[in-house]
Amino acid sequence: MATRIKRRELFSSFAGIGASPAGAQVCTGADLIPNVPLRTHDGAAVRFYDDLVKGRQVIINMMYAHCEAFCPAITSRLVEIHQALAPRMGRDLFMYSITLKPEQDDPAALEAFAKMHGALLPGWTFLTGAAYDIDTLRFALFRHDHIKFDLDPDSHTGKLRIINDAINRWTHVAPLASKMTVLQHISWADPPKSFEQRVEENRRLQLAIDKEHELYGYRKIV
Amino acid sequence: MGNEESTPDSTQEPEQGSGAQEGLDRRTVLKTGALLGAAAVLTSKKSLVLAQSAPPLAQPVLCGTTPPVSPPTRPFLDTLPVPLPALPQFLNPQPTEAANTGAGEAARDPHQRWQQFLPLLTYRMVAAPALHQHHTDLLPSYMWTFNGRYPAPTPLNFYGVPSLVRFTNNLPPTPPNTTFGINEITVHLHNGHTGSESDGFAGDFFSTGFFKDNHYANAYAGIDDFGGIGDPREAMHTFWFHDHRAAFTANNNYLGLNGMYIVYDSKDPSHELATPGSLRLPGYYGITDIPLILTDKRFCPAANGRNEVFQVVGNGAPGGDKWVVNGKIQPKLTVRRRKYRFRILNTGPAKTWNLSLIRPDGSQAPITIVAVDANFLEAPVTLTNRTLDVFVAMRFDVIIDFSAFPAGTSVYLKEQATQNVGVAVADPAPGLPIGNVLMRFDVVNREQWFPADTPAIPSVLATMPDPIVPDASFQWDFTLVSGRFLINGLEFDHNRVDHVVLKGSAEEWTLANDVAAGNWLHPVHIHFEEGRIMSRRVRVTQNPDTFQNIPLLPEELGRRDVYPLPPQHRVVLRMRFRDFVGRYLIHCHNMNHEDGFMMVRWDIVDSVEELTRKRREIDERRMLAGLPPQYTDSQRGGLV
Repeated sequence: MATRIKRRELFSSFAGIGASPAGAQVCTGADLIPNVPLRTHDGAAVRFYDDLVKGRQVIINMMYAHCEAFCPAITSRLVEIHQALAPRMGRDLFMYSITLKPEQDDPAALEAFAKMHGALLPGWTFLTGAAYDIDTLRFALFRHDHIKFDLDPDSHTGKLRIINDAINRWTHVAPLASKMTVLQHISWADPPKSFEQRVEENRRLQLAIDKEHELYGYRKIV
Repeated sequence: MGNEESTPDSTQEPEQGSGAQEGLDRRTVLKTGALLGAAAVLTSKKSLVLAQSAPPLAQPVLCGTTPPVSPPTRPFLDTLPVPLPALPQFLNPQPTEAANTGAGEAARDPHQRWQQFLPLLTYRMVAAPALHQHHTDLLPSYMWTFNGRYPAPTPLNFYGVPSLVRFTNNLPPTPPNTTFGINEITVHLHNGHTGSESDGFAGDFFSTGFFKDNHYANAYAGIDDFGGIGDPREAMHTFWFHDHRAAFTANNNYLGLNGMYIVYDSKDPSHELATPGSLRLPGYYGITDIPLILTDKRFCPAANGRNEVFQVVGNGAPGGDKWVVNGKIQPKLTVRRRKYRFRILNTGPAKTWNLSLIRPDGSQAPITIVAVDANFLEAPVTLTNRTLDVFVAMRFDVIIDFSAFPAGTSVYLKEQATQNVGVAVADPAPGLPIGNVLMRFDVVNREQWFPADTPAIPSVLATMPDPIVPDASFQWDFTLVSGRFLINGLEFDHNRVDHVVLKGSAEEWTLANDVAAGNWLHPVHIHFEEGRIMSRRVRVTQNPDTFQNIPLLPEELGRRDVYPLPPQHRVVLRMRFRDFVGRYLIHCHNMNHEDGFMMVRWDIVDSVEELTRKRREIDERRMLAGLPPQYTDSQRGGLV
């Protein structure tokens, strides 16, 4: 509890307002994200929230080693995303691929899968654990609030969950959207930018729009 | 740095919850000032502090992640509030055709038809936190509002008088660590016939500290064909505006970023006098013509002087256990024994309303629908034995004749689902538990000064525009595969167009709901122009390759922009694409589904060259993804 109160104070002083009254509960990742015990592809024992998510920006997907429908395409898309964000990976940005079939996928199987896809990369961890814990995670992160879909494990392979726990920002993206789009969605959970940065981004976007109008007569890509 | 309203020298923040409007204006001044001077003083610490200064409201402290049971509220204590009419204001800096990014406007395409429809009325809507009290028994809640009000003030407009609304984003710049909306907005006027740059495209959001001018021509569709302000048979009257930020629409709307927008014309002229062409429906805004803006909310227990609205993160906005009308729970409204018009709007995020009017003896009283989704029906439809089903984003303009009830009686608007009232109250009418009462109407005799009743509702309300002759047909297949909402096999990508049409053309579109055997009804919304349903079919369970025709309900025969799509249904509609070009959307208006990307982008273009080029690109992409092409060789001007 002590760490959570501290973080809250940090935020409130950052926002220039008084600290929240003691005793009141703040809705943070610790309440939302199960702190289940898991094993990583290299065999380490971890707690999902405390060790992997707390205070970080993370990208989470569900997969299994023998999944043939979308998983390979999604994994290779994630490799591309990793390349594009390489300087941040393992520093302030992390990827977690959680198996939906823990009974098949032990750490060794996950490592083999990662190796096969060229996904043994810094900041990217494949995870397995007890089936009950995996289900708990799946519900917490990917549920549709519709029993038909929530009880079907296969209905969760097609979505990336993006969380920045430090600012309680959750979003998601379909991994097979364009690479540019996936990167944009990940950036929607980036730490907030300064006003100057946003003014500069806005200026650049307008220049890009104007340029496209000049070149094509309409707005093409941006 | 000048501003016409006040001097930007104050460092004092307004008191919480009081003078919200004033406070907002002062903050706007600060912000505008900082932005105007941004180029010159960007490095100055002080201007940065001004631009980044936190709003005066302390952020909410929420009550955990388990949905709480809302506190008890006694029924019928509060009077139904009516959203204030928005006041036109001079805007400084003056609105411009191209984005005024130097002054802090968000990047956008230049306004279309700007010279032709130079805005005469300009409004300002400032998105900012404010406190709103949903019930006398509840403490105020932290909301995100326009101009400090929930619901937002209503711009009252006239066809032929173009307007412009400056949406300023003053949401908190620091991480809203206990609020799960996002401080970036893009405002859609539902269902304005507007250029794409003013349409609130989901990917065109802008962050706090910026503003964006949405230009509303307040012209009928068919400007090119009919000249002037278009085809008056395309009249729409009851619009609403709301945040459309991709992936965060549900939470931002749940927090309160929406309001109504009304456009009058000679047929529906804002009064009840016998003027030429007037239908003479009840028409005095706030007096006999009253918005009923519906949403559901859930409240945390009282803490820190607030009853915060319960929020969840990540899985869409939560379902509420309190029914809210115009920002109040179970309000009452005194009505005179005469006809009233109610503009019923469902702002979501996800709940469908099944409404009926209940007499004191428990029987159902008639409600007459005159308009659906802002469009007058050809003939009024009176509901006597079924509910009025209001799906998210739909508007129903209804007439209730209270002269049918004796003075001193109360009649009740009933919602089929039950809310949590939390106090023991006897059933107000036989068979009507208090939890099902949305609001109460108290009928009194008309005073001398109150406007006399309007004439009978005309039996013919509107002439439909000429039948739409489609140039092509196109099918939109809605499915859910591996947790991904797909439309025509692809997930939403705001950077990618999935269908292109030529300006001035018309198409017949089929909406097909094959979301695997779920029981979800998807209220599908199509931006830009109103369409007409041609037919509705449903898959035959015993013989899944066949479809059975379903007769259309009388209120489905008119024009509309939300198409309820139950499971396994096929809705065939026709619509035109006139007057403007750019990027538009189709999406499920269940905002949780919309945020789950049950949405697709389609473009209107004005050259055959652009049409065929974009269509070729679409089919090339589809073939790379292993999907069948969408167009014939001639439709895309050649082989892929």
